[in-house]
Amino acid sequence: MSNAFVYNFDQVQNEMRAMAKELLESGEATMVIGWEKGALPYQSTPVMIRSAEDVDKLIWDAYCQQNLSTYLIDYIYTDEKVAIFAKGCDTRAYNRLIQDNRIKAEKCIVIGVPCPGMKNAREAARLPENAEVPMANACKECRYPNPVVFDKRVGTDVTAWCTERDFSDVEAIEAMPADDKYAFWQSQYTKCIRCYACRNICPACNCTSCIFDQSASGWCSKDINASENQFYGVTRAFHVAGRCIECGQCEMVCPSEVPIMLMNKKFIKDIDSLFGAHEAGLDTNTPAPLSHFSVSDPEEFM
Amino acid sequence: MERVGVFICHCGSNIGAVVDCARVAESVKDYPGVAFSTDYKYMCSEPGQEMIQNAIREHNLNRVVVASCSPRMHEKTFRACVAKAGLNEYMFEMANIREHCSWVHAGRNEEATEKAIDLVKMAISKVCNNEVLMKGHAPVTKRALVVGGGIAGIQCALDIANNGYQVDILERTPSIGGKMSQIDKTFPTIDCSACILTPKMVEASSHPNIKLITFAELEKVDGYVGNFEVTIRSKARSVDMSKCTGCGTCMTKCPGKADDEFNMNLRKRTAIYTPFPQAIPNKPVIDRESCLKFKSRKEGKDVCGVCAKLCPAGAIDYEQQDELFTERYGAIVMATGYEQFDHSIYGEYGYGKYPDVISGLHFERLVNASGPTQGHIVRPSDHKEPKTVVMVKCVGSRDPEHGKSYCSRTCCMYTAKQATMIRDHCPDTKVYVFYMDVRTPGKLYDEFYNRTREEYGVEYIRGRVSKIYQDGETLRVKGEDTLLGRQIEIDADMVILANAMIPNPDSERMAQIVGIGYDKDGWFTESHPKLGPVETHTAGVFLAGACQGPKDIPDSVAQAGAAAVKVCALLSKDQLETEPTVSKVDNKLCSGCGLCVPVCPYKAISLETIQERVAGKTIERQVANINGSLCQGCGACTVTCRSGAANLKHFTNAQILAEVDALCQTIL
Repeated sequence: MSNAFVYNFDQVQNEMRAMAKELLESGEATMVIGWEKGALPYQSTPVMIRSAEDVDKLIWDAYCQQNLSTYLIDYIYTDEKVAIFAKGCDTRAYNRLIQDNRIKAEKCIVIGVPCPGMKNAREAARLPENAEVPMANACKECRYPNPVVFDKRVGTDVTAWCTERDFSDVEAIEAMPADDKYAFWQSQYTKCIRCYACRNICPACNCTSCIFDQSASGWCSKDINASENQFYGVTRAFHVAGRCIECGQCEMVCPSEVPIMLMNKKFIKDIDSLFGAHEAGLDTNTPAPLSHFSVSDPEEFM
Repeated sequence: MERVGVFICHCGSNIGAVVDCARVAESVKDYPGVAFSTDYKYMCSEPGQEMIQNAIREHNLNRVVVASCSPRMHEKTFRACVAKAGLNEYMFEMANIREHCSWVHAGRNEEATEKAIDLVKMAISKVCNNEVLMKGHAPVTKRALVVGGGIAGIQCALDIANNGYQVDILERTPSIGGKMSQIDKTFPTIDCSACILTPKMVEASSHPNIKLITFAELEKVDGYVGNFEVTIRSKARSVDMSKCTGCGTCMTKCPGKADDEFNMNLRKRTAIYTPFPQAIPNKPVIDRESCLKFKSRKEGKDVCGVCAKLCPAGAIDYEQQDELFTERYGAIVMATGYEQFDHSIYGEYGYGKYPDVISGLHFERLVNASGPTQGHIVRPSDHKEPKTVVMVKCVGSRDPEHGKSYCSRTCCMYTAKQATMIRDHCPDTKVYVFYMDVRTPGKLYDEFYNRTREEYGVEYIRGRVSKIYQDGETLRVKGEDTLLGRQIEIDADMVILANAMIPNPDSERMAQIVGIGYDKDGWFTESHPKLGPVETHTAGVFLAGACQGPKDIPDSVAQAGAAAVKVCALLSKDQLETEPTVSKVDNKLCSGCGLCVPVCPYKAISLETIQERVAGKTIERQVANINGSLCQGCGACTVTCRSGAANLKHFTNAQILAEVDALCQTIL
């Protein structure tokens, strides 16, 4: 985690502004998506910049968590050529979106930004103003802080601070008796208000028409109660299984603090043991483990 | 307005003795949608079916539920029954209250009846959501492909061809003939194998409806019943088939030598060769592994070329390459045969390292007049006639620990045959047979076995061989005679092992290419062990011969004929009915993510570009498109599709949820 100390946000920020300016002035991009400073010190929010004059709005600090890749979907049917700044996780999301056929590489410019790990905004809100803010949960476990794909890039590569996957939190839940496990998730999803923020931010949740928006799908009602909410949570975990890039955005944006990544990590752990280790979004060629047919797939139920 | 008729079948006492059928009928009569409900002893009987048809007319029913046995049994019957009364056949549902209820809950009649009621309610809820579906039609390519040119493949092709249909035989080796061409005599009649096989080979090669594709392999199979698109790899023969006259001059001076696999490596052959004198086509191939020219080319040189110099027709073509070509077929018959189990895993038989411990097929070549010894039975090591021969049965068969769990069915008879042949050729030679059991269930088989013992004086010892080891020139065979309960030791000159039959080593890959099932041992799986022994679960693909399981020649030939009849029945149709129970995609829900494309085992899904108006602008985007002829209705796409755009007709999400709702309501 020492990277955070030597990492010079300001320098990278300057490079980002210069890059955005160049792209917009040359007309190579019609829009640049980055981050601007939000209303609070621990908030940095997405910003769409169309004019070179506005590039100074762009900032780069330890709160630029939000994954910008998902915005690319909105411009797929326009004439825009959109440039985005992309951290390691954002580039994995970008690869996933390409694989899901939701964006086209030729309409996008990916500007890779090596990331020192973002801070935990939720904790920052709770802590006194000058306290040391810990790293965001997902970032602590990040193994790919550098962009895995890019057209252009700013900054210099950082060294990954985490090399091994840590499933101890999943194992702790697995070790619980079934009733306790159920009670745990029941208590978590009782808090859920079905705001769908987790879905909206998720790069794997990229359907044109989400099943939870279809009133007559028959699978899940619009009722907000523990049962329906759990059904929503489990279904969403199934839908992103094998395609989750572990950016942790879902959990970061959840206003009810449901430990969504815990469920996603359980799926990742199970998929790894059943179908072999898989890291979603590292490239666009490796098929998602649950999304292709192979005659050698295990069929222990047959 | 749904008007459902519910018919509860007693199936004699199969259901009626456990489930209170009258109570089931009574308890659903007021269930939403039900207009009529009754029970009857045999719904599938003619009066039963009439009852359904009359009820449809009398009560103006537009949907029918029959609660009886598995749909595997009678779904067809009842669909036809309601169609006769004017309903669409998909406005029918079956509740399985026999296999799923009375049979598994016998003795718990009250609970079984409750469950039957639930199952019937689920079926009613489903049928209320059913939609009218129409069968489709697909044309039939009136040509068959037989994969494998052994006796099963040849016979099957002949039977198909004689029915007037075109058929291609695809053979991996340079010649058709298969294992039967390696065998010397056939039991129980001891007629010469080649003498009865070669006329069939000639008939196949000269038949106007048969095309031989030899030295070629199956590469890919696309398409579906009636319209398979098969990609075949024609391996480089290095001989131009159109120029070669089969004179054989090329083989006379070839300096390249290789183990002669046709003769079980008991002698050498040339690098340019035909596997055996009666080979069809009788045109040689160059084995590039042992050809001096090809070997030297690997080292950057280019030597020899004797065959090209000798060939009067200029047919030798060293530059030939493998060629891929695609053909269309209406049906495919798999006849890929068997291989011999490798006994070298057995330490007790010397790990395959004693030259005079040979397998049954080795013996066939030894005793064959065109074999390496011109038919003299001699030991491979020193070419002396053996005075004592020990034969061991069940080598690899019936040995779940190290070999195969199954009985190879042919070994008892071929061992008896080989024993009599040894006694015929070498009357002074003693023959001992170690056996676990003697199984001779075939016409004239047991008589043959009895003659082997009684007339030919072959000594059968019931017991296993525990060890064979070389002691000077002799092979010392230690074993147990379990009938006398004593250890025995025989000094043998030669040991013949009755090796098990195993599937073609490539069978699993072949099954995957064609899309058929195989069992734990690699044998192809038939669609039903009793009632569908030559069909597979893939429509249009049939099985002939030992690729389905160990078989002797008569059984292989019989099965080949059976497969041919099935093929002809298929090819005789101008059009095939296709099931409408296939997947469909709702374009407005589809994101075009394409994840359903690789997940489809039948390659039935592709992405197509559609135009759509979005915010006043026409855009082009991709959505999944399902080929209804290729789709087999497995539903893999529907569970991959997150937004629920893919839906399986007749098993739609709404229909299945209606069933779940019906069940949950009874529980709550």
